[in-house]
Amino acid sequence: MSRHIRSVVLAGLALLAGAGTAAADDTRVALVPGGPHPYFAAWEQAGKDAARDFKLAAADYKVPQKWELSTQNQLLESLVTQGYNAFLVFPGDPVGSVSTVAELADSGAPVIATAGCLKDPSEAQFCLGTDVGNSAYLGTKELLKAMAGKKRILHVTGFLVDPNTQLRIDAVEKAAKEDGAQVVQVIADIDAPEPAEEKINAYLAAHAADVDGIVSTAWVPSVVAANALRRIGDKRIQMVAIDHDEVVLKAIKDGFLHGTMLQNPYGQAYIGSHVVDRLRNGCTIKADAPWKTNALTSHFVDSGTVFVGADKVDTYVSAMQDITKNLLASFDATYLNCNS
Amino acid sequence: MHAEDSAAPPSQVGSPPATPRGASGRPRFWLTNEFGLIVLIAVFVTAFGLLTPGFLSPFNLFALGRTAAINVMIGLSMMVVIVTGGLNLAVGAIGVCGAMACGWLIQDAGLPWPLAILGGLAMGAALGFVNGWTIVRSGLHSFIITLASMSIFFGLMIFLSRGESYRELPSVFSSFGRLRVLDGTLSPLVLVAVAVAVLLVVLYRFTVAGREMLAAGAKPEAAALSGIRVDRVFIYCHMLSGLLAGIAALMLVARNGAALPSMAGQLGQDWLLPAFLGPVLGGTLLSGGRVSVVGTFLGAFLVTLLTSGLLLLQVGEFWVQAFLGLLLLLAVLMDMARRSFLARRRMV
Amino acid sequence: MGALSRYARTDWFGPLLVTVLAIIIVGAFNPSFLSPLNIQVLLLAISVNALIAFSQMIIIAVGQMNLSVGAIGGLAAISFAGMMQVWGLPVPVAAVLALLIGLAAGMVNGAFIAWTGISAFVITLASLSMFKGINLGITQAQPFYGIPDAVKAFGNTTFIDPLPWLVLPTALVAVGLWFLLNRQALGRFILAVGGNSHAAELSGISVGFTVVAAHAISGLLAALAGIMLVARLQIGQPTIGDDWLILSFAAPVIGGAVLSGGHVSVSATLLGVVIVAIITQALVLFNIDPFLVQVVLGVLILWAVGINRLRELRLRKAVAGV
Repeated sequence: MSRHIRSVVLAGLALLAGAGTAAADDTRVALVPGGPHPYFAAWEQAGKDAARDFKLAAADYKVPQKWELSTQNQLLESLVTQGYNAFLVFPGDPVGSVSTVAELADSGAPVIATAGCLKDPSEAQFCLGTDVGNSAYLGTKELLKAMAGKKRILHVTGFLVDPNTQLRIDAVEKAAKEDGAQVVQVIADIDAPEPAEEKINAYLAAHAADVDGIVSTAWVPSVVAANALRRIGDKRIQMVAIDHDEVVLKAIKDGFLHGTMLQNPYGQAYIGSHVVDRLRNGCTIKADAPWKTNALTSHFVDSGTVFVGADKVDTYVSAMQDITKNLLASFDATYLNCNS
Repeated sequence: MHAEDSAAPPSQVGSPPATPRGASGRPRFWLTNEFGLIVLIAVFVTAFGLLTPGFLSPFNLFALGRTAAINVMIGLSMMVVIVTGGLNLAVGAIGVCGAMACGWLIQDAGLPWPLAILGGLAMGAALGFVNGWTIVRSGLHSFIITLASMSIFFGLMIFLSRGESYRELPSVFSSFGRLRVLDGTLSPLVLVAVAVAVLLVVLYRFTVAGREMLAAGAKPEAAALSGIRVDRVFIYCHMLSGLLAGIAALMLVARNGAALPSMAGQLGQDWLLPAFLGPVLGGTLLSGGRVSVVGTFLGAFLVTLLTSGLLLLQVGEFWVQAFLGLLLLLAVLMDMARRSFLARRRMV
Repeated sequence: MGALSRYARTDWFGPLLVTVLAIIIVGAFNPSFLSPLNIQVLLLAISVNALIAFSQMIIIAVGQMNLSVGAIGGLAAISFAGMMQVWGLPVPVAAVLALLIGLAAGMVNGAFIAWTGISAFVITLASLSMFKGINLGITQAQPFYGIPDAVKAFGNTTFIDPLPWLVLPTALVAVGLWFLLNRQALGRFILAVGGNSHAAELSGISVGFTVVAAHAISGLLAALAGIMLVARLQIGQPTIGDDWLILSFAAPVIGGAVLSGGHVSVSATLLGVVIVAIITQALVLFNIDPFLVQVVLGVLILWAVGINRLRELRLRKAVAGV
């Protein structure tokens, strides 16, 4: 009898111990971009890796069918009902998404605004993303260095509904003004192949002689402009792009582009998944952590950016991985209060 | 209450009504389109409730009701124009213009929000008037006129607002959008939609204006001969459509807490599918003269229900649109079959 | 003077005047408008847009409307790109298959319309959602990047400066359509059904077959436009076709097409495409707000339909007066 009781007690203890460690495993993270876009492709793999490395129940990449706020809202509502209890969200609109995020938070889920920020005040824990203003600023400075004294810049950028676009427009303007250069034209709302191709081709066909440099702060225009410069065989116009599309990297190697500003989509999703899991397991945000401030929010964490020129094109992946590793290593200590 | 209202009274010889009527002249309820929709809704609610955990949870019902309310309004906005035998492709564009006008009045003109809401609705009605007047004066089909006007209205709105949103609205908007009544399962937006639907039923059943709209839509020449000012009636229909589109857009503003120019997609064309699905599923004929407010309400609700259920079943967010198109096709085919079945039975 | 009034009554005279005027005005303000590079850019745009316009034009001819032109084009585009990338099919095979998909999609439209008698508007609204939905379901909204270099070159290079390769398929199609509508029985049937389907039926034309044929041609042309756009953009983008609706109506209407059917003009539609392309480009050249493009397109449509209507009324009065 006593042997039976002992084995039952041992089994019970084992079960409790198992349940104790399994308690961290019921975090189901949903990674939700604003819509389909090549930038977020890295989130899918990052989610899978995070689920494996941090022992999460799930870290699933869920894409709204199109870049529309109503579609994203419906998807988020559905995900709550499906049992997801932690969210990394690229806001479909910096203010329009505040209501939805509040409802997510009401259901008990921690939410991190990722790769794009909500306008304060909001229920998001904080915003983890590229300091897009800084990135655009640095990119423009690099461009000006390559332009060697010439002054006229064309700025091509993304959707007007993207909260980051205006920040980028302002930053490029600032960088240009500091060096006495001028942004002769801003073409926005072209982060999709058809409008980008139409507008960039039309502009270059008519005004190629009126610009000395191009700065692109969105993925698709970077690709389209790189192709356009290659097609007209132009190496006089300098260009700095953004992100790491194959076309852009090849154009840097072949000399059509001066370089590109990398963002860190993989790191954002990977670190973000880890942090929401910690937040669900007893940690809280440190109010006095070294938060950065941008135009939208005062609780901002920079996920890192780096300029990649022809010399570093082949090793860009490891450059970003280093940044991610460093950020992850110090994150908990810097930004979280954890009792366990 | 007759489920379907039409201009031809049941006693008129030679024009068989769409549904067989019993001795008292009321249509047999279980053969009507509306009853079919109720059955479908019940079936799907049961199915989803059993198949997916959480379908019947308070939060999901609340979110479902809120989205459905907006789709119902969009459907009603198109329905009042379909009554005239025409189309209003500009519902999305007009709605967004109304909402942006409201936003401008609050943020830039400093008006208190109740007045701004009235202003936004007035903008919707005014744009509807422009459509109606142009269609009536030119004699051109409403399809091409509203195709052109959707471009013009949307383009002008974006140009005037520089594509920027109104994000500093008073919190009453987002609070209303997030309000939960009835134990957390119902959104007041549903009550707004129901109220509007009731008013429309009253319009078409009990008022002269409504009956004139139905008559003018069914047979404009005959209506004109019996003294109805057909042109004026058509303009009123378009104004009403614009007003309802404005209400739908303001409901979206409450849901989002901001007035965004992109709320209905490029040129407002994202509203086209829900605008047609509701009325067509609900049995409103595209040829005009017949309307079913209840049917439109149920149809829009059914579509929202199905979309929500499919998302929960993780069918794959990307197949939802294909499914909606299939649904529209099936709905018109079934309605056609139902009418020919009933017509044949009357002949036999 | 008689010759002039004769010309004025044709469909293409007005648009031709407007085109020439537009070129002169824009060219005067910005000389680089007439540079070979810019002409190349214009022709690249016109080549694809003309097919979109023709695809709608043939349906307007039969008195209906086809809302699914963009959705068919998008589906064919991603099928073309996907078949080459995922199944490794050679370019000609993939192209032919994609065209067949467009043809089949058009036939499905036509068959439903002819068989059920339900309005083309509703049928093509439903099929628009279905084709777009299938497109999204296959691609998961991700584009296909693996386009062979030959295809990319076809879409972006010239064979005789400044004429790009893309002009050739469009030119062939334009000639073919003109031939169909003016010299072939099927073309006459299409116009007859559009003009008066009852009379056409009475004179022995099979209305159902004609409608299916017209929609099949429309689907084929939309698919061709989609394939050419993949070549030009150099990726198989699922959003191809999303904004084709207004354009597909604007050009035929400017070219004098009557929406109730029975009267279209290939050459005038082509000129309509040219006008729209010039205006769109001019707005970019003069740094005018890009959103005004939408307003201009809408106004153009209204103006064109208004003029067509006036001509129609004047014609009716003339006939009644005799």
